[in-house]
Amino acid sequence: MFEQIASSVFTTAFLASVLRITTPILFAALASVISERAGVANIGLEGIMMLGALFGVIFSAWTQSAFVGVVGAGLVGVLIGLMMGWFSLKLGTDIILSGIAVNMLGAGGTIFLLFMFTGLRGNSAALDSRMIPALEMHFLEGIPVLGAFARQSILTYVALLCVFLVFVLLYKTPLGLNIRAVGENPHAADSVGMSVRKVKYIALGISGFLAGLGGAYMSMFYSRGFTTDMVAGRGFIALAAQAMGRGEPLGAMLSSLLFGAADALSHHMQGTALPSQLVATIPYVITIIGLSLYAARTIGKVKRARKARAQTATNA
Amino acid sequence: MRGITKIYPNGIAANQAVDFSVRAGEIHALMGENGAGKSTLMKILMGLEQPQEGEIFLGGEKVSFASPQAAIAKGVGMVHQHFMLVPSLTVAENMVLGIEPKKHGVFFDRAGAVALTKEYSERYGLPLDPNAKIADISVGMKQKVEILKALVRGAKILILDEPTAVLTTRETEELFKQLVILKEQGFTVIFISHKLWEVKQITDRITIMRGGKSMGVHTTAGISEQEISRLMVGRDVMLSLEKEKAEPGGSVLNVRGLNYTNQWGNRMLKDVSFTVRAGEILGVAGVEGNGQSDLVRILWGFESPDSGSVAFEGAEILGEPQSWLRELGISYIPEDRMVYGAAGGASIEENLISDRAWGKRLNKGPFFNAGAIRKECDDLIKRFKVLARSRGQRVGMLSGGNIQKVVVAREFSAGPKLIIAEQPTRGIDVGATEFIRARMVELSRQGAGVLLVSADLAEVMQLSDSLIVMYGGEVVAYFEDTSALTDAEMGEYMLGLSKQSAEELGRAAHD
Amino acid sequence: MINSDRLLELKFSVLRGLAAIFVSISVAAILIFIISDQPGNALFQLLLSPLGNERQMWNILERMIPFLFTGLAVCVMFSAKQFNLAAEGSVMLGAFMAAMTAIYVPMPPIIHPIVSILVGVITCGLLMLIPALLHTKLGANVLVSTLMLNFIIQFCVQFVLVNIVADRSQGALMTYQFLETAGIPAIRFNTSYGLVLGLAMVVVVSLFIYRTRWGYAIRMVGLNKEFSAYSGLKVAGIIILCQVIGGMLAGMGGAVEMLGFFDRFRWRLLPGYGWNGITIAILAKNNPALVPFAAFFLAYLSRGAVNMTIHADVPFEMMDIIQAVIFLFFAAEKFLAGYRQKMVVKKAKRELGEDLPAKKGG
Repeated sequence: MFEQIASSVFTTAFLASVLRITTPILFAALASVISERAGVANIGLEGIMMLGALFGVIFSAWTQSAFVGVVGAGLVGVLIGLMMGWFSLKLGTDIILSGIAVNMLGAGGTIFLLFMFTGLRGNSAALDSRMIPALEMHFLEGIPVLGAFARQSILTYVALLCVFLVFVLLYKTPLGLNIRAVGENPHAADSVGMSVRKVKYIALGISGFLAGLGGAYMSMFYSRGFTTDMVAGRGFIALAAQAMGRGEPLGAMLSSLLFGAADALSHHMQGTALPSQLVATIPYVITIIGLSLYAARTIGKVKRARKARAQTATNA
Repeated sequence: MRGITKIYPNGIAANQAVDFSVRAGEIHALMGENGAGKSTLMKILMGLEQPQEGEIFLGGEKVSFASPQAAIAKGVGMVHQHFMLVPSLTVAENMVLGIEPKKHGVFFDRAGAVALTKEYSERYGLPLDPNAKIADISVGMKQKVEILKALVRGAKILILDEPTAVLTTRETEELFKQLVILKEQGFTVIFISHKLWEVKQITDRITIMRGGKSMGVHTTAGISEQEISRLMVGRDVMLSLEKEKAEPGGSVLNVRGLNYTNQWGNRMLKDVSFTVRAGEILGVAGVEGNGQSDLVRILWGFESPDSGSVAFEGAEILGEPQSWLRELGISYIPEDRMVYGAAGGASIEENLISDRAWGKRLNKGPFFNAGAIRKECDDLIKRFKVLARSRGQRVGMLSGGNIQKVVVAREFSAGPKLIIAEQPTRGIDVGATEFIRARMVELSRQGAGVLLVSADLAEVMQLSDSLIVMYGGEVVAYFEDTSALTDAEMGEYMLGLSKQSAEELGRAAHD
Repeated sequence: MINSDRLLELKFSVLRGLAAIFVSISVAAILIFIISDQPGNALFQLLLSPLGNERQMWNILERMIPFLFTGLAVCVMFSAKQFNLAAEGSVMLGAFMAAMTAIYVPMPPIIHPIVSILVGVITCGLLMLIPALLHTKLGANVLVSTLMLNFIIQFCVQFVLVNIVADRSQGALMTYQFLETAGIPAIRFNTSYGLVLGLAMVVVVSLFIYRTRWGYAIRMVGLNKEFSAYSGLKVAGIIILCQVIGGMLAGMGGAVEMLGFFDRFRWRLLPGYGWNGITIAILAKNNPALVPFAAFFLAYLSRGAVNMTIHADVPFEMMDIIQAVIFLFFAAEKFLAGYRQKMVVKKAKRELGEDLPAKKGG
């Protein structure tokens, strides 16, 4: 059995599925990076992805354009992000609680909205929605590793591009400087007349947009159409990916890939003797372990550094 | 500013019909005790708070600042007491925060920011390294960044909120020179302080505030220091406190060879040793930031030292939990009362029992003994003269002095053998201050050892029976008897100009 | 002694609560007008039909039962500001463990449901040690770890259900029937004596939170952690304790719901009661004594939403939207803050006028 798994893991097909599965997590992890750096813990990503998935389908069905669907999903995300901002920044709702509320909207609210807009219950199978096209690059097929990129969704490339864009945004633009300042010392930002609220609103908006794209990917490429609970915790996994990636875009990408690989592994093991339900827990278990190891390592580092300093202090 | 009234959401009236005016090109002192309403008044001028009543005029034009942006746009800039800087960013990045120069329309122009910083730092004679990270530069440097930040934004009126509190003597002198240069260039400076000699040295006029009201404007040359102090505190400062001579008993707390490096790698304590004896108040004097707060955090188990030992009545207490320290009979009045001393959202009652909630006296089986708690709290409120509507009132709604009385009531009533008092009267009114000091003396005369850490020179000198001075993380002086000490002598040690010999310092250990 | 500050605060929070409910009902009404062909009927079903007859009223009480438990669970954990969201998973696990005991361990009546519930309670209490210890020992974020834990529980229960304990003679996925000794008897209709247990737990938890040293410590840790540590409270222990208690209460809720309302275990997915619990804790402002009212309110709305689905053409899931809206406004500390400030200023001015001379050195 182990051999069977091993042989299927080290293949281009497996790598391809890692990329496919990582994409929505990566979008959400980047969304989390932007908001976290602005000092806002956006735990509503799960709900935003659900809403993105729903509206991607609805908009694409209405306009018969995948592009409009994806952009629409992103804009719905922006709207939800701004709404969270309004509640937490203006009305003083704890940001974590407004995130939970958004997740409620994502869970039951999407079912209601699907019915409201289309009259369908539970899934959008009967709806003629568009799919996001894959970028066919046949010349890559057969090449080890690179072959994994041969038939990926356009959004996968967008996600990878976003890693770079988020990096540039954070470190090379005035807005990024403002976001980091607001996240690190809001009083400082405030005292120079910068509007902390505005910066947080913008960060939440961008965060919502990225999560919305992640949602659209779920219903317009990963699966065909919208179904209840289809995001299945990816928004939460993304939070862990962001934390493990220390709020850096590249770090978030690497940990997203780790979770993507765990999930892909669980898919590849479905055919094996291992029961599928247990295999399905793998990404969640890995997330908890990863999170704990990361947190423990941070604590350990501080302790070791202290010890080292104590050493030099007594030697001196 | 005319007729400014500000009532905070907790019902405290911080400013009541305050008039305040400054002339162009002068250095104007705004004086008053903590809580007199200076900060609130300046926050209103900066657009950080909105007054319920009152008007602001700038060069004859009526203005109203809904936000700091509006105030900055009209040329008002403030250097806050706690620096408003982002540690992980560079000097230049902090300098241009909110007014970033751009490159190609979208990107941040780092080179432009550096050039701008250089230009201003040269123009106003405030030398700086634009590429250094804020986290890596000294306090004096940070203050320069703050001043330049305001100037870059076109400030004509500079508000400095207790700028010297964090500076060394040399840095203070440097700052004063720079302020005079700014004044000569036509800038107006509002200088918030409660250090008399500073104000006398550098300002042209003085506005004094007390209890949320203005006590009038005076020219600095035309008012004596006694007059200022009388206006500030409402009566002549009590210069001596009646107390019997201490009769120190055996040692309660033995601190030996403490070394400590903080998380940023700074050596905060260097071989600190001393002893607190029963029945005496041992003062720890020093300019803030010379290791006193690190010392206290270690004593209370919030940090662990690199090396050294701390023994209470002969038994090592380093690494013991706070509950055990309390069990042993150690009380602690922390410096930051709203973070450590009290829970603002909890009632007075809940705050009073936080250290004894597990005690047999207040429990009946698994439940609280509500009657006993009520009695104890009412008794404490009365004994410690806490001004409150009832014991159920939230502590956050009380004034600073009354919050501190709640903290002190709890700590002093625990029957302590050792009291660690850290800035016990900071920022509270005179009445509460005198009350707390008197109780502390009383407890020490009944046999408790007191370790009094205070940056208020008058306080440590008045209250302490014996005294150590800390400078740069070291104990630099020990005085077994404080009665003959002079300010000048203390100043020498506190500013690191002199240091006692190892032999003299060794006496602090009482071995 | 009358404490006028507290009174003012109370007046204001009642006012704000009513405003929040009004806003959310308005949102519901708007949605109904958009979606429904018979908006009047739908609104009637949602808001008034639960009062229709005795059966309806008992059904509200029946729906309240799991809400009571999860509401209490979240109250306890949120009181210490621990954003532990595993009440959801605990309900499922508690229900499952109780079901297993009810099916496979024969016992005399009365004792059987009690033991079954206890098995669920203890399992979930132990379960909560995982996120609590990972947090206190290693510093792992409770929010994320408990969210993950919910999914792990769901899949693990599914695994046992599908592979080990499924009754193959049935068309759908479910366990064998519970032994007859295990069920919790009904008070009337489908409303079991679990309601009484739930209300009893309200009393117990209220006493615990407000009348014992442990409850006091939990609240203090929630209000100010630094202050608690400084005072000598064992903060890490308290953080673990409140989560274990939260898990036990949620597990009890699952067990009671399972034994009181079902005769076989057939949940494939997380039941959602944990999330309801969060709404209830928010509505009750983390005060366990207010949980029954919040739970009744939510149960009422939920019954109304069911009626609306059956007798009108609006899907039940609108409930989630109403919940989210109430939730957002209820938790909004600055909602109507302008109005509050006016009240305070007026009061302060009045007092300044009245007893300014009396206040010296305050």
